[in-house]
Amino acid sequence: MTDTQTAASMRPATTQDVADILMDAAHNRTPLVVRGNGTRAGLGNPVAATQVLELGGLDQIDFYDPDDLVIRAGVGVTLESVEQILAQKGQYLPFEPPRYAGLYGTDGARCTLGGAVSTALSGPRRILTGAVRDFVLGVEGVNGQGDVFKAGGRTMKNVTGYDISKLVTGANGTLAALTSVTIKVLPAPRAEVTLVLPAATLAEDVALFGQMRALPLGIGGLARRVNAAGACELLVRVEGTVPGVAGNQQVLAGLLAPRGGMVVLEQEASHALWAGVRELECLNARPDELVWRVNLPATTMPAFVEQARSAGCINRFFVDWAGGVVFSTMRGVQPEVDTLRYRKMAEQAGARATILRAPQDVLVRFGAFPPVSAGVATLGARTRAAFDPAGILNPGRMTVQA
Amino acid sequence: MQMPEPNQAIISQRDALAQGLRQIVGKDWVISDDAQRRPYQCDGITAYMAMPLLVVLPGCAAEVQAVLRFCNERGVKIVPRGSGTSLSGGALPLEDGVLLVTSRLCNVLEVDAHNRVARVQPGVPNIKITEAVSHLGLCYMPDPSSQLISTIGGNVAENAGGVHCLKYGVTANHILGIQAVLMTGEMVELGGAYLGAAEGELDLMGVLTGSEGLLAVVTEIAVRLEPVPEVARVISMSFPSVEEACACVGAIIGVGVIPAGLEFMDRKVLDAVSVLIKEKFDDRTAALLLCELDGTAVEVDALVGVVSDVARAQGAIELKVSTTEEERQRIWSSRKLAFSAIGKLCPDYYCTDGTIPRNKLPEVLNKMADMSKKYGLDYANCFHAGDGNLHPIIMYDAAKPGDLEKAEEFGADVLIACVDAGGVLSGEHGIGVEKRDLMTHQFTEIDLQQQQMVKCAFDPKDLLNPGKMFPTLCRCAEFGRMHVHNGNLRFADIPRF
Ligand SMILES: Cc1cc2nc3c(=O)[nH]c(=O)nc-3n(C[C@H](O)[C@H](O)[C@H](O)COP(=O)(O)OP(=O)(O)OC[C@H]3O[C@@H](n4cnc5c(N)ncnc54)[C@H](O)[C@@H]3O)c2cc1C
Ligand SMILES: Cc1cc2nc3c(=O)[nH]c(=O)nc-3n(C[C@H](O)[C@H](O)[C@H](O)COP(=O)(O)OP(=O)(O)OC[C@H]3O[C@@H](n4cnc5c(N)ncnc54)[C@H](O)[C@@H]3O)c2cc1C
Repeated sequence: MTDTQTAASMRPATTQDVADILMDAAHNRTPLVVRGNGTRAGLGNPVAATQVLELGGLDQIDFYDPDDLVIRAGVGVTLESVEQILAQKGQYLPFEPPRYAGLYGTDGARCTLGGAVSTALSGPRRILTGAVRDFVLGVEGVNGQGDVFKAGGRTMKNVTGYDISKLVTGANGTLAALTSVTIKVLPAPRAEVTLVLPAATLAEDVALFGQMRALPLGIGGLARRVNAAGACELLVRVEGTVPGVAGNQQVLAGLLAPRGGMVVLEQEASHALWAGVRELECLNARPDELVWRVNLPATTMPAFVEQARSAGCINRFFVDWAGGVVFSTMRGVQPEVDTLRYRKMAEQAGARATILRAPQDVLVRFGAFPPVSAGVATLGARTRAAFDPAGILNPGRMTVQA
Repeated sequence: MQMPEPNQAIISQRDALAQGLRQIVGKDWVISDDAQRRPYQCDGITAYMAMPLLVVLPGCAAEVQAVLRFCNERGVKIVPRGSGTSLSGGALPLEDGVLLVTSRLCNVLEVDAHNRVARVQPGVPNIKITEAVSHLGLCYMPDPSSQLISTIGGNVAENAGGVHCLKYGVTANHILGIQAVLMTGEMVELGGAYLGAAEGELDLMGVLTGSEGLLAVVTEIAVRLEPVPEVARVISMSFPSVEEACACVGAIIGVGVIPAGLEFMDRKVLDAVSVLIKEKFDDRTAALLLCELDGTAVEVDALVGVVSDVARAQGAIELKVSTTEEERQRIWSSRKLAFSAIGKLCPDYYCTDGTIPRNKLPEVLNKMADMSKKYGLDYANCFHAGDGNLHPIIMYDAAKPGDLEKAEEFGADVLIACVDAGGVLSGEHGIGVEKRDLMTHQFTEIDLQQQQMVKCAFDPKDLLNPGKMFPTLCRCAEFGRMHVHNGNLRFADIPRF
């Protein structure tokens, strides 16, 4: 049985209840599906467990201290409500967490903060401000033996013991059931504009991205996509203070003038555009298609995309992070064959190819996450055992049995 | 401060071990005579010293692997060392351990300007990375004050900060990939030379960063490069009271400005510095803030206006804004000279590293004044205010019996006050041996056990830099066996050292 067809579900509201549940489960060696509200259950491998531990009920804000740029909240607080609370003070979550609710056919309003930390999904702004891991200051959680532990803290700088906050970020619930997270926030930029211009070849576009990235212009988004009219375009987001953005926009306009055809989107329009990019809307992924994310050096991206397109492994795609990530769809006709080929191509290009969405049998067989070297796999397994010796927390979510 | 009892059986094999290690790294790169080992007896904390059994300087990652394998098989401990500038005793040698020094691994291997990444060896001094890429308009952002000397490997091991980490983040935020060797000699590649290269597996790179040489020896690092900001300007703001200066820190951040750096100096520091820079500070000044703003020229001009308004509203009596690079350097020189200026006031000083929520600054600074009275030791304050990272400078005289102990207790009291205010023991210097025995004040037994279990996953024999960071040695075998009950002190009988 898999996590989409589970029988029993527990939804505790306190850390102590989570600890009690896990102590029992450890004692009985009962594997558990660990999740927030289950909105991203489609990400990662199916978990072989019949019981669900749902942490969405831990939905209290512990504190929010805007002058100290820090918020601590239960993992069940929704991203939407965190973002609303921060917005009241002109602040935001700098890692621009995607929901992918459209991708998984779930309700984006129910995506939790804990889910954002556990999946470590970072949005288009990563090239400027960083990833989820860069903003998790501290965590509290319950390990696979029912022990409540905390790690990290609430200060911006901290080298006090191992950085377990980073370790649980992106662990997809395989190390601990997180109960609360402490997040560094930042003032949201006052001004934002997006310059839209026609695309050229991938290679030319990546070269242009590189030119822009070498300049300190506060560029918080560099993507290339096919728009609703079927035209391929580049998106350049500039953020900062009002005078800063005006100045930087001018510099960029000069640099980009040779391309011609530039359109400028201000504030709200720019916001809406990037929300769509963040949610991969421009992929228009059809229900029968697989969806992939490939991380790679921007300079190797054009050749990789070309090869994968001509091999039929990429159907539609767009590029974010200045060329450092390719999101693509794959026809669902022969998913097993194509998955194997696409992964191989990625491996040869030194890239990491993650399946964001695929039929369960593909995930079970190939794993959502790309394979790692034997040494890293062993170290990863030992580290998991250090938290969850009985292997009851989301077993198999990130790893495939050989 | 006590270290684990050295293993005499290992010490008695010194000559044989030296011979074996020479076969790996070559005869010149194992140091065994007393005179040449002596400079390695301590790191940046000179109060703690120990003669390393042997000093080994491998010349490549394969030699690091072979050295670790050799020592692992013989149960010999390893202490990794970069330049030995650690201020927590992280690189303090063990009498029964081999000191593995990275100074020969000192090359910038590759600069990839387009993808803004450099691959470097661990023994490269921090500043050399920026020097290697400055012609491209790029830099490596984290800039610990020790950047001329301290190595990038040491920076990774201590997750070093610096003046600019308020805006740009600490070392961990600038690392994309790490190649490391486990105690068994096995090499792991974590992440790579691009964003997201580490995703889809546990963030082992994240936990290695800041692990103080206890989990693995770092042999190569891929760092992120940033474009050098077009301009930087600094505002010097003087306040009639410490409280007003502290309040201004929160107010600047509260209006949505993240300065590149925001530093605090109290009157004692200013008086000490003014002798060196031959400049007088206004008599009414009790504390000074230095606020650096960077970005494009128009942006910085606008921010200077915003911050100046905030400072005036918070009671600043004097504002000086740099208009040229020379002025900027001159204003910063007071901060840069602070520690050596204090050094001229007293025979010895001791500086610790607690970090607190910014709004607790006045409270903790007041407590420090009380502690100074209690211990009868003078102190001064010069710290990274924007990060809430305190560096109280406690003045003492090592020649006076009992003074060092008093200074240490004073320092410990400050750190305890930091934790009680919601902060942490260390913002950037690490735990090492210096703050090791205070870990139980910040963490519960279970928190610490969870951390030690991670240590066991990486180094089950506890041979890599043991005796640091935790007040007890790891008992990996017991951890694995024992079952576990909430809140119960499981190893109440473990000896503390
Ligand atoms: C200079 C250049 C840049 C290109 N950049 C991209 C790119 O960034 N991403 C990409 O997927 N393809 C890109 N392409 C390829 C182009 O869009 C392909 O034509 C298309 O992906 C499918 O190829 P086709 O010949 O089978 O169908 P086409 O006849 O080109 O297109 C079939 C239909 O699909 C629509 N369509 C094509 N691509 C997308 C998409 N990504 N999202 C939504 N609708 C789409 C078209 O508008 C059209 O209605 C580029 C082509 C060129 C010449
Ligand atoms: C004057 C002065 C100013 C300072 N300013 C700052 C500052 O502004 N910010 C700051 O954060 N720190 C500062 N420090 C502290 C110190 O410089 C840093 O902690 C620095 O990162 C240590 O680097 P190192 O090469 O000297 O390492 P060492 O002191 O040699 O070692 C430090 C730790 O790292 C481990 N280690 C070293 N290399 C490796 C490796 N390759 N693999 C695994 N483990 C390794 C060692 O075992 C040890 O635990 C300062 C120190 C001094 C003396």
